[in-house]
Amino acid sequence: MGFVAIWAYVTLAVFVVGCLYKAIKYATMPMHLRWELYPVAHEKGKVEYGGSYFEEVDWWTKPREVSKLGEFKTIAEEVLTLKQVHERNPGLWLPSLMFHYGLYVLFTLGVLLVVGAVPGVRGLPGLARLGGGRVLMALAAFGLTLATLGCVGLLARRLSRADLRRSSTPADFLHLWMLLAVFLASWASFFWADRHLAVAASFVQGLVTFRPVAGLPGWFGAEVVLLGIFLAYLPWSHMTHFFAKYFTWHSVRWDDAPNMFGKTYEQRVKKLLMRPISWSAPHIKGDGRKTWADVATKGGDS
Amino acid sequence: MANEPLIPSVRDIAKNAETLSPIDLKRIVPLPPPYDKDDPAEMWKEISAEKRSQIDASLDGVSALALKRPTGPAEEKRLLDGLKAGLAKLLSSDDNWTFRQQLELTLDHCTHCQTCAEACPIFVESGHNEVYRPSYRADVLRGLLARYGPGGNPIKAALQGSPELNWNTFARLAELAYRCTLCRRCCQACPIGVDNGLITHELRKLYSQELGIAAREAHTDGSVLQLKVGSSTGMSPAVVKDNIEFIDEEMSEKVGFTVKTPWDVEGADVLLMHNAGEIMAWPENPGAFAVIMQQAGISWTLSSEMVAYDAINYGLWYDDVQFARVALRHAEIAKKLKVKKIIIGECGHAHKALSVVADRILLGEANVPRESFAPFLASIVDSGVLKLDPSRNDFPVTLHDPCNIARAMGIVEPPRRILHKIAPRFREMTPHGVDNYCCGGGSGFAIMSGNNFANWRTLVSGRIKMKQILDAFAGELDPSIPKYLCTPCSNCKGQFRDLIRAYNAFERSKIQYGGLVELIVNAMADVKPGFLEWEFH
Ligand code: SF4
Ligand code: SF4
Repeated sequence: MGFVAIWAYVTLAVFVVGCLYKAIKYATMPMHLRWELYPVAHEKGKVEYGGSYFEEVDWWTKPREVSKLGEFKTIAEEVLTLKQVHERNPGLWLPSLMFHYGLYVLFTLGVLLVVGAVPGVRGLPGLARLGGGRVLMALAAFGLTLATLGCVGLLARRLSRADLRRSSTPADFLHLWMLLAVFLASWASFFWADRHLAVAASFVQGLVTFRPVAGLPGWFGAEVVLLGIFLAYLPWSHMTHFFAKYFTWHSVRWDDAPNMFGKTYEQRVKKLLMRPISWSAPHIKGDGRKTWADVATKGGDS
Repeated sequence: MANEPLIPSVRDIAKNAETLSPIDLKRIVPLPPPYDKDDPAEMWKEISAEKRSQIDASLDGVSALALKRPTGPAEEKRLLDGLKAGLAKLLSSDDNWTFRQQLELTLDHCTHCQTCAEACPIFVESGHNEVYRPSYRADVLRGLLARYGPGGNPIKAALQGSPELNWNTFARLAELAYRCTLCRRCCQACPIGVDNGLITHELRKLYSQELGIAAREAHTDGSVLQLKVGSSTGMSPAVVKDNIEFIDEEMSEKVGFTVKTPWDVEGADVLLMHNAGEIMAWPENPGAFAVIMQQAGISWTLSSEMVAYDAINYGLWYDDVQFARVALRHAEIAKKLKVKKIIIGECGHAHKALSVVADRILLGEANVPRESFAPFLASIVDSGVLKLDPSRNDFPVTLHDPCNIARAMGIVEPPRRILHKIAPRFREMTPHGVDNYCCGGGSGFAIMSGNNFANWRTLVSGRIKMKQILDAFAGELDPSIPKYLCTPCSNCKGQFRDLIRAYNAFERSKIQYGGLVELIVNAMADVKPGFLEWEFH
């Protein structure tokens, strides 16, 4: 098996495992105290002005109406239009939009290549191959154009806008330079090695069927190596926001489910209150043996 | 003394500089006429050089904590080691199960897009002082974690641009945790859901829970006093009963019929909980509540049990343990009284504390339902049981939405429903509701005035609110027209008292501030006219 294929397997594995590790880490963290922030997208009939069930007299006696559609609409609007950036940070909006749409298109292309590589699958991937791969070629060119222009735009903004430059970390720049390197290698491969994505398709097919192809063109190899570095790095960066948003919105900002008498929260909280505490300030004196229940029910008055 | 203006980076927080990022009074948000002629420098107070040799004010020339310099290297090491230990505890599922998920999500996902920056009133009001940028303090924390936290290493530190942890960093970061009101406007703006307000909360916790460093007003004179004597005002049960008796007498005289507050009535429908600061500073507020409850025929009571006659829970701002201690006491007492529900009076942070943040730690019978005064009063007004004469409130009125009631709880419409019925000249501020600006006294600031913090509150954190108020009354600023700023929250009231005084806005524009209940009672037809007094206090 050639180096490029091994590299692809290893980096993809790091990407998948890294993302899963992080998602599982967030999902299995202890239940937190409520910290919702309004507007809460699922508040039926009230979301327009940010209202909540707390506006009702004796709210605990009334049925709670949670609109999943409301949540979906808010998330879809944010993902598809980058609403907040558009309204509050307009200078960044266009490059950011191009960049994100570019990635969506390239992701779709990747999915088509993988699905098309599965033995016996026809349909959409087959359609994409019609015309000697022209659909794939168009997707690649379109996605790469958007992503590259967006990436350059974001870099230019970050370098030229004093507030952005000042508040950026070295990692923020690294991400953009890494991505730019991936896009440039992809362009080189597109122009000089694989205009119709035949190499990409056979490479992906090789990976999927565990019969990796050998003798890949140099630019294509460079593209895979750089993409691999980026993918393996991604889970350890803030770029996991593509899935973390589910948690920040759904599990924090919108988590307004009340602790109704005797419901499931009680058991979970009872266990959490038995956890040890080791904060050492004089009004707590946690020693790692005392529990939260111990310290919460006495002291604090000196 | 201000040094050369410098635009500090996150790493610069460790730098030796007398003042890292001084307040530039020339850049603060301008106010409309005639307030545009005021010279902010006359409202500002520098901390004296002598004082500065004792306490740290090296962040921005302001001191909220009066943090004393360490007495020697051993003391300094103890503090820095404590901070490092606290970093690990923030990420522990034992020590910080209460907020770990929110915190890690926030720590891990800021892209530094700065979409939140212009949403932050303090950053904007200060004329964009770099250290007030919402992401700045978060990045200092991220940097320290990358370098000194669990799994911290030089690669992470380099990628994050980590600062060094020294006394400068320690002291400035502690102060920086008290330059944000936890209003969470920045979080509303963030496309990812990163919460820079939460970072402030967690930093305050780290200093308090690990090192015992907190604002004296919130801790020693706040939650500790409340747990020790019953209230942060220092009132014991006997004193609070005396004071309420006095208020009842005053009210009876004012309204023209006998008003009597019931105490400790077992099985009452409603246990009303006030911020006890009202009893001391704004007695007309608990008095007006008593009038409404009585005239509406509500079965209600106050509790004279320690802690329960003061709805405050300052731990919400800085310490989970103190927070839990007070919240559990509040709920236990309600359970013991066997009331049907708790109504939280006009106190924003008490709303969020007992209704939202404490919700999941109230177990079994202690999970007594909690309701805000706003829908409760709106239902009384809707019922028609009170005879209301809105012409008695024929003056301009605007409403300040307390962050903890609007943005943190989504209670927006009920106070407006009431105001539309009792205040014919009600108008909104811009922005309002869940998009409101904090009064500038949030997260405990309203009770903090040491050194020059009160000046900072009026000139920086509260300035945009002052502008909003003046804009809401545009064209009617003449002092011949009395105006009412309705602010149903004790802490906000404290801040507005200081703002109006600092800008001399009562004399210049006759802007009075007060709660919602006072305005309702002022409109009650069976009450002697003139309940509201147009004297500033
Ligand atoms: S907190 Fe959110 S809005 Fe602010 S800089 Fe970070 S990612 Fe952008
Ligand atoms: S919570 Fe409010 S004051 Fe604090 S950084 Fe965010 S917007 Fe600014």
